[in-house]
Amino acid sequence: MQGIPGGGTHPGLYPVDRRMLLIFSFILAVAFGQMNFTGDQVLRVLARDEKQLSLLRDLEGLKPQKVLLDEEREAMAKSRRLERSTSSFSYSAYHNLEEIYSWTDNFVMEHSDIVSKIQIGNSFENRPILVLKFSTGGPRHPAIWIDTGIHAREWITHATGIWTANKIVSDYGKDPILTDILKAMDIFIELVTNPDGFAFTHSMNRLWRKNKSIRPGTFCIGVDLNRNWKSGFGGNGSNSKPCSETYHGPFPQSEPEVAAIVKFITAHGNFKALISIHSYSQMLMYPYGRSLEPVSNQRELYSLAKDAVKALFEVHRTEYIFGSISTTLYVASGITVDWAYDSGIKYAFSFELRDTGHYGFLLPATQIIPTAQETWMAIRTVMEHTLTHPY
Amino acid sequence: MQPRRPPLPAPGSRPWGPRPAAPLIALLLLLSPVVAAAESESPQDPGQPQDAGLQRRLLQQAARAALHFFNFRAASPSALRVLAQVQNGRAWINPKEGCKVDVVFSTERYNPEEGEGHLGKCSARVFFKNQKPRPAINVTCTRFIEKKKRQQEDYLLYKQMKQLQNPLEIDSIPDNHGHIDASLRPIWDLAFLGSSYVMWEMTTQFSRYYLAQLTSVRQWKTNDDTIDFDYTVLLHELSTQEIIPCRIHLVWYPGKPLKVKYHCQELQTPEEASGTEEGSAVAPTELSNF
Repeated sequence: MQGIPGGGTHPGLYPVDRRMLLIFSFILAVAFGQMNFTGDQVLRVLARDEKQLSLLRDLEGLKPQKVLLDEEREAMAKSRRLERSTSSFSYSAYHNLEEIYSWTDNFVMEHSDIVSKIQIGNSFENRPILVLKFSTGGPRHPAIWIDTGIHAREWITHATGIWTANKIVSDYGKDPILTDILKAMDIFIELVTNPDGFAFTHSMNRLWRKNKSIRPGTFCIGVDLNRNWKSGFGGNGSNSKPCSETYHGPFPQSEPEVAAIVKFITAHGNFKALISIHSYSQMLMYPYGRSLEPVSNQRELYSLAKDAVKALFEVHRTEYIFGSISTTLYVASGITVDWAYDSGIKYAFSFELRDTGHYGFLLPATQIIPTAQETWMAIRTVMEHTLTHPY
Repeated sequence: MQPRRPPLPAPGSRPWGPRPAAPLIALLLLLSPVVAAAESESPQDPGQPQDAGLQRRLLQQAARAALHFFNFRAASPSALRVLAQVQNGRAWINPKEGCKVDVVFSTERYNPEEGEGHLGKCSARVFFKNQKPRPAINVTCTRFIEKKKRQQEDYLLYKQMKQLQNPLEIDSIPDNHGHIDASLRPIWDLAFLGSSYVMWEMTTQFSRYYLAQLTSVRQWKTNDDTIDFDYTVLLHELSTQEIIPCRIHLVWYPGKPLKVKYHCQELQTPEEASGTEEGSAVAPTELSNF
């Protein structure tokens, strides 16, 4: 207890100065604010004439008492949960991991007829790795895989993935092409392929790319998840130095985030298309990344990419270039789409979304929906082709 | 040590095997990846590898380098240009010396105003020296902003900068969501101008730089009326995906050449890139028309 300025004491009384009084009053006010309304009621009163109305107005003038029934409180709590439903989620803003995972739960709940959530593993820092499954039922439908966010800083990709998921459920039953696709095939979307890295871009380093794995012998953290696949692993366009942004890791699939996908897709055994979404550069590409060697169905993929890019262009006149990864972007080894192709997935594509360098990774949120809208048309083109060319 | 660039294909080799017969060349050209709107033509130079994709990349590299240099030389933050389309060009690759590229390309304004669809046109000769920075550049561009308008806008920007609170307390531009406040736009434009010098010097036939973010900025008081500005940028290099922090110090006055000093940290290699350009030592007007 502080001493009082001015000295003097009264025997038997505890001296209190003005500041202490204020603090005590505040505490009391807070304590009394937490009132118990058990057993109270809400009544609706209808005025029949002017006299009754006037009486009600007088009552209104009195200090209002919040009176709640148990059920009322229950309803309020419920509405608070619904406020966090997908209808209040902003698709034109960037979200953090908790918000995305929360949206995922709401989304699955609201569209449980065709959407379910699967946990395919855990990240290095033990976060759940989640995949959304869109299915109209039927055993072992051929499937399409879409992943976003394999590189943490590419925020536009997660945002596009979320919008796309919502687009699928919105257009199912309305868009005949999508409806046909979903009747025959399942779609899997992994929104946050690199949850640890993504969390890190929110907390510490907006431009982080890799995952957050640590290993003895180096201070540097993380492996480039798009160099860790078992296809030309360790070749040109990947780096053996742990501090490098394209560090491929100690061996193929060393990273849990990659291993989880490999395990899932392999066990499923019936994936027919894989689309891996990145940013930025405005490109649509097919294998190989590891070499200039063309894939056996290069002509078909070229033609399909051309159609997809055209469909994309027609939305907002955004120009994409297309071709194989090695000739369009650069040589890169151990990448997702090379692995997918080598595993028998004939239609393996990699997107680099907007823009071409003006904002780069820091694409303004105002561009999320236009980007997602145009990208959807390209994805839909690829899915349609996969549907009409079964193998 | 892992090579940081994709190796050039051996002379005479092609992705589809030895030199194909004439009737197949047409088919090959059809199969080459193309730009959605304009195709880059590169005449076949016998004895040199001509993979269409590599050609296109080289022409783009040259166009970008030329534009960084052009922007620096123009020293006009309100008239910054970005690459719109590579239209045509050719490249000569000499594995010992480097490569020489002639390229014609269109540009657009970095900050396009509403309804503005101007496409300026530039032609450049760029010489990338093997293993050495500072590609030699000769570039001319057509004017697309009236000189008087440009001067007015530069002066307006200058006044906005002068009126900014000192010390500036800024986290980063853009913020993590890509947003740049209108009041901070002049800072960003000036930073981009200064970064152009850095990016020009560092661009090679393989490495390509972009300005990712401005992470700190400090404006110094000066005895004269110049803008004296110290800042840190994060450059993104595409082929290695590295983020390179650079400290840049620039001095600017509307209509005067830009003076830049910088120091970049290359995390992977022990070398660090740094440089100085005393703009007044270089005559700005003879190489560019605007």
